[in-house]
Amino acid sequence: MKKKLALLLALVMIVALAVPVSASAEPAESITLWTYPIGNWGDEATVKALTDAFTAETGIAVTVEYLTYADGDDKVNTAITAKQAPDLIMEGPERLVSNWGANGYMVDISDMFDDTDKSEINAAALKACFAPDGAAYEYPLVMTAHCMAVNVKALEEAGVKDLVDLENHTWTTEQFFEVVKALNETYGIVGAVYCNGQGGDQGTRALVNNLYGGTFTNEEHTAYTWDNEKNIEALKALYDTEGIDYDPSIVGGDEIANFYNGIFKMAFCWNIAQQLNPNSAGTGAGITMSGDEIGFMAFPSQDGVAALQGGIWGFGVFNNGDDAKIEAAKTFIKYMCDSEHTVEAVRASNFFAARTAAEGTDLSTVWADNEIMNEYTKLMPMLGDYYQVTTGWAAARTAWWNMLQQVGSSDGSVEAITAAVNDFCGQANAAAAG
Amino acid sequence: MTSKDNGRSMGYKIFSVVVLIILAFLFIFPLYWIITGALKPPAAINSPKPQWWPSEFTMRNFQVLFSKRSAPLFQFGSVTGPTVPAAIRWMVNTVFMAVMAMILTCITAAMAGYALAKKRFIGRYLIFSLIVAAMALPKQVILIPLIREMSALGLYDNIWAVIFPTVGWPFGVFLMKQFSESIPGEMLEAARIDGASEFRTFTNIVVPMIKPGIGALAIFTFINSWNDYFMQLIMLTSNANLTISLGIATMQAENSTDYGLIMAGAALAAVPIIIVFLIFQKYFTKGITMGAVKG
Amino acid sequence: MTQTMSPALRRRETVSGYLFLLPSLVFFVGFVVVPMVMCVITSFFDANMNANTPDVFIGLANYKELWQDKVFLKALRNTFIIVLVSVPVVCIFSLWVASAIYQMKEFALSFYRVVFYLPVVTGSVAVTVVWKWMYNNYYGIFNYLLKGAGVISKNINWLGDPKYALGCIIIILLTTSVGQPIVLYVSALSNVDSTLVEAAEVDGATNLQVFWRIKWPQIMPTTLYILVITTINSFQCFALIQLLTSGGPNYATETVMYYIYYTAFKLYRFGYGNAMGVVLAIFIALLSALQFRLAKES
Repeated sequence: MKKKLALLLALVMIVALAVPVSASAEPAESITLWTYPIGNWGDEATVKALTDAFTAETGIAVTVEYLTYADGDDKVNTAITAKQAPDLIMEGPERLVSNWGANGYMVDISDMFDDTDKSEINAAALKACFAPDGAAYEYPLVMTAHCMAVNVKALEEAGVKDLVDLENHTWTTEQFFEVVKALNETYGIVGAVYCNGQGGDQGTRALVNNLYGGTFTNEEHTAYTWDNEKNIEALKALYDTEGIDYDPSIVGGDEIANFYNGIFKMAFCWNIAQQLNPNSAGTGAGITMSGDEIGFMAFPSQDGVAALQGGIWGFGVFNNGDDAKIEAAKTFIKYMCDSEHTVEAVRASNFFAARTAAEGTDLSTVWADNEIMNEYTKLMPMLGDYYQVTTGWAAARTAWWNMLQQVGSSDGSVEAITAAVNDFCGQANAAAAG
Repeated sequence: MTSKDNGRSMGYKIFSVVVLIILAFLFIFPLYWIITGALKPPAAINSPKPQWWPSEFTMRNFQVLFSKRSAPLFQFGSVTGPTVPAAIRWMVNTVFMAVMAMILTCITAAMAGYALAKKRFIGRYLIFSLIVAAMALPKQVILIPLIREMSALGLYDNIWAVIFPTVGWPFGVFLMKQFSESIPGEMLEAARIDGASEFRTFTNIVVPMIKPGIGALAIFTFINSWNDYFMQLIMLTSNANLTISLGIATMQAENSTDYGLIMAGAALAAVPIIIVFLIFQKYFTKGITMGAVKG
Repeated sequence: MTQTMSPALRRRETVSGYLFLLPSLVFFVGFVVVPMVMCVITSFFDANMNANTPDVFIGLANYKELWQDKVFLKALRNTFIIVLVSVPVVCIFSLWVASAIYQMKEFALSFYRVVFYLPVVTGSVAVTVVWKWMYNNYYGIFNYLLKGAGVISKNINWLGDPKYALGCIIIILLTTSVGQPIVLYVSALSNVDSTLVEAAEVDGATNLQVFWRIKWPQIMPTTLYILVITTINSFQCFALIQLLTSGGPNYATETVMYYIYYTAFKLYRFGYGNAMGVVLAIFIALLSALQFRLAKES
């Protein structure tokens, strides 16, 4: 009896073990796509409609896996370590070009850009997709400008709504601090410089850089410059501001949740996708949980003209040594990013097309029917330098939030802040130097 | 006993009951919050004022959990099962993983523990020392080599890549050795004189004697494997291969956390394991007693 | 016994011993020992994730760097704080709970046993999410209650303040660790020979004396066993850190386990991460050996 049981168990084990291995015998025309939650590119129903249409036209099957920002990078890195990277990946140049591309895991797809493409694609997005050596590791699909948000009802209650230009969505550093002061007097809590991890770090970077006109990297994208005085001044000003604390217990997502439920009156981790669907809660565009109006704003700067952080998303191809799959992946990219189907691919993302037209299809009118999207285009001319492609980016953003943590727990003196900034910026530059 | 003594022990009793009740609240609270949270609408979960009892019950979180992702129920060679909500597949994977890890660990550890306790052979001290040394080793230490090894074996992104390292974890062997020490040598001697084979001696004499220990090990392994988020995180990537806790994590949107969804998933994952615990509770406690006292 | 064995019997014992060990050894060697050896080898290389640069042999350079790495030293310190605090606290706490409940009626006893086991079976990820909410700076339950009771006037950022963060992590670790020890102690205490206890009480011994002279020696094996499993448990404390603090603020909750992961997958320094792993493994092996020696002596 017991022997039989043991035998049976052994049999079950062997069969179960053999199954997944034999399952890998699949048709050649089949590729895997891993996507981060970029708008509805993280939603199975939406993506399936897109890939099904693609499969119907080309005969190439697509298996999609959905990553999150919380552990997506780790998953891709383990997959690379295990030599099991996907064929296609959807994210921005800071990962595709300056990380996996620079580390030699991506296919150079510069042959996909002809002169028409180069003229149609937004210049900044185009530049970001190319590595310094001229290889392209990403084909852009959509882009946006990251911004910040204010609770308009709170501005009214604090009596500072007039200070804020909700028409042009811009303000000066001076106006910003005045608004924070008034909100603080009314509510006690205004917002937070979140720094638990890298989630939403574009917001804190843009805030600090814009306040007094500092920069994050040099123009050539070869070194990090956030140890300059203007940034230190901004970090110090934020430290001294009542109502805004450095908070190492939250990331950007938590900040948005706190803004959505009314605790924060300002959010620094904002963009059009948030404006369309705050906190992904599906309770209405442009309003908080309790129905307060949300106004989106450029980051404050001394002259009122901000340099906004761009977000660029597109596709890259991992080099798994199989030419047929690489070709299939390129077919997919062409279909999604440069054809009459690009309209649907862009709409799925909730962001703006990274190009004006694709193979004769006008893309400038993709969002013509959407008032919020139209209003948001006012921010797009303020797009600043896309510096996320600087070498050592992964290490640099890590150093950034660790630096914020140290500044937040220091005594707030210029010396202490300078020491923290120099220390971590030094680490980032060491990584940039390789 | 004096009356003063009595008074003091009475006071102590009241004190300990009060503390116990407070502690009980603290320990029950997370589960309570998960289950009620799973039934609350998003606004109530996000509310800055805690809502101790849901003012409104909704199945919305479970609906999202069951509709947002789909996967085949099983894949067996080229035969693919019907498409079901991925959460069901994730539960199937998780149960399969925990049960397989449990069975394999119990079988291998019982055999090895018996050998180390009762067999006198060359190298046993060395092996036992290795086992003791490796017992507390965190898996993060061997993270990178393990990923590479699984990849070389073609097991990456396969539930077995999570099961095998769990089985290899030597704590079970250590535990079984402690239990096997208590088997009287005369009984084994008698079996040998009767001409019983080694395997027969093991199945007919040793196993019944260490059964409580095996039961305890089974529960340990099951729970540890169920909760081993780290190994699941680094080894599994495909939607169809995920475990329940991992699967729920992949359903998060950019920069926002749907706590209702997490609670629904957590409730779904916690209920079966709590049932297992309630069923085996008695058996479990008895098993441990024996080992601990005689070990 | 060893002396009296005949060579034939000895051979038979060796062969059968190894046959019984074989299935377990396959897994142990395959998935623990082999990766550990690979880990040691890689630790001598400047290995990274770049596909274009080959790994360079750099001898002990990684190890030398470790002792100058402030973050590693802090992580090492935190790791040992977690273990050295949680192990005795778990033991004392669970012994106290067990002695408070073991003479209760069957139903109450079962109730408490289940209650203290709940965080273990609920799953670490789920429990962590709830604790994160409880610790929340702005609307967490602790700030809500403490402020309501007038104990604090300003919210405390539990997980965001280097003073409290590690303590907060340890508290969660405790609630997920005491389940098994309590069950074990309840069984051990109810198995203490009652005639000895009665005899001592007749002799006029106080409760405390009865505990130390009679009960404590009898539950000693259980205590040792709990020490072992709690030590193991504390070293596995990873998901908590990853899900709550990512090692921050200011590395206040950085542990070696998390730092290895971080070095490997955020900084892509595989060789350096492996060197940390080797150092940690050595420390753990020494600690286990020490514990085991103590167990043998008593």
